[in-house]
Amino acid sequence: MFTNWRKKSAEPAVSSDMLSKQRRYNSLVKALHADIFRYAYWLSGDKHVAEDITQETFLRAWKALDSLKDDKAAKAWLITILRRENARRFERKQFDYSDVEQDTLEDNISNSSEDQTDQYLIRRQISRLDIEYREPLLLQLIGGFSGDEIAELMELNRNTVMTRLFRARNQLKVLLEKSEVRGQSNG
Amino acid sequence: MDELKFRRQAYENPYNQDADFLQQIKAKPENQALVNELKHLDAKLCSALKISVPEDLADKLILRQQLQQHHKQRRRTGFLMAMAASIAFAVGISFSLLRLGPIDLAEHALAHVNHESVALHLDQNVDFKQVNARLASLKNFGNAKFIQQPGKVYFSSYCDFQGVKSLHLVLQGEQGKVTLFIVPLEKRMVLDQTFADSQYQGIGFETADAFILIVGEDKSDLNYVKDEISNIFI
Repeated sequence: MFTNWRKKSAEPAVSSDMLSKQRRYNSLVKALHADIFRYAYWLSGDKHVAEDITQETFLRAWKALDSLKDDKAAKAWLITILRRENARRFERKQFDYSDVEQDTLEDNISNSSEDQTDQYLIRRQISRLDIEYREPLLLQLIGGFSGDEIAELMELNRNTVMTRLFRARNQLKVLLEKSEVRGQSNG
Repeated sequence: MDELKFRRQAYENPYNQDADFLQQIKAKPENQALVNELKHLDAKLCSALKISVPEDLADKLILRQQLQQHHKQRRRTGFLMAMAASIAFAVGISFSLLRLGPIDLAEHALAHVNHESVALHLDQNVDFKQVNARLASLKNFGNAKFIQQPGKVYFSSYCDFQGVKSLHLVLQGEQGKVTLFIVPLEKRMVLDQTFADSQYQGIGFETADAFILIVGEDKSDLNYVKDEISNIFI
């Protein structure tokens, strides 16, 4: 009785508010879920964990959606939530997922078998990269963030970020050249 | 820009657009080659990073949010219902506790007369048999009744004395109209012998079956009615 009365008077304003929030959320999901999922995957090394983290991230994003003022900042905002969720995962239980999946990385994109082995190797090397080098590279390549933005997201200074990016590419380049040479000598 | 710095910058971001950096690329062919190589590496890395996303992930994310929203709404309605229920409960408890307290009949009678002034203007010309019929339906009330007409009865109705169903009559006194309340006996009631407010005077007494309250403007009327009642209300 009391609730009905309350609903009647409050409903129109509330529902239009909710509708626009819902629309905003839906477009956020559509536009960014792939990047967020991939980022979570390369952070955790496991598709299921990545999906869980993505779910948690978007759920938290929904609850806090009113605090996102600028839609241009949405990606950085989501990444911040995601990094926090990922850290929380390690607080809960100390599993090293990256060990589990490294050798069974899935690949559904490349077509030719040559591409496939190539990509497989690259993926292996990326996931073997130290997390402190891997993460800035992910932010640069998946997120498309600048050095300053990465520094802000990771709460590091810009020089540290640039050094890590340098080392990440350097290591990958060396590792890939080495494995190519090995591949050639084996074949 | 020295060679080392250039290499560092190329590794940090081969797509660097700084004027210095672009100039350095143009300056030496090997610089151009290094940048191209790193861009090629980046392209490979980017395509390697693009692992396939579960097709239904976007739908799942929206579904999960909507389920959560739904739960929240239900929780809120549930909470409001619980609030309403407990308020109703508290109100119910306090009312019944209030009713257990002593009831001052005199005060209530005066308030009733003041409030229901319309009763003093009506003329229903009620027969005493009708009054007896009403008396018979009072709870916890003995067999007392009027054995004859107590003068003219202008008005008769039930009324409520803090939850006790009582009878409200308006009779003709010597001078003016007099209001008479017949209230079944109950322990928690308190009755003053005489009472008054700025307009009305009243007397109260107890018979074997009931409290009788008589309220009127004129004191002599009250005693007149009291005598009459004592004789015919047995």
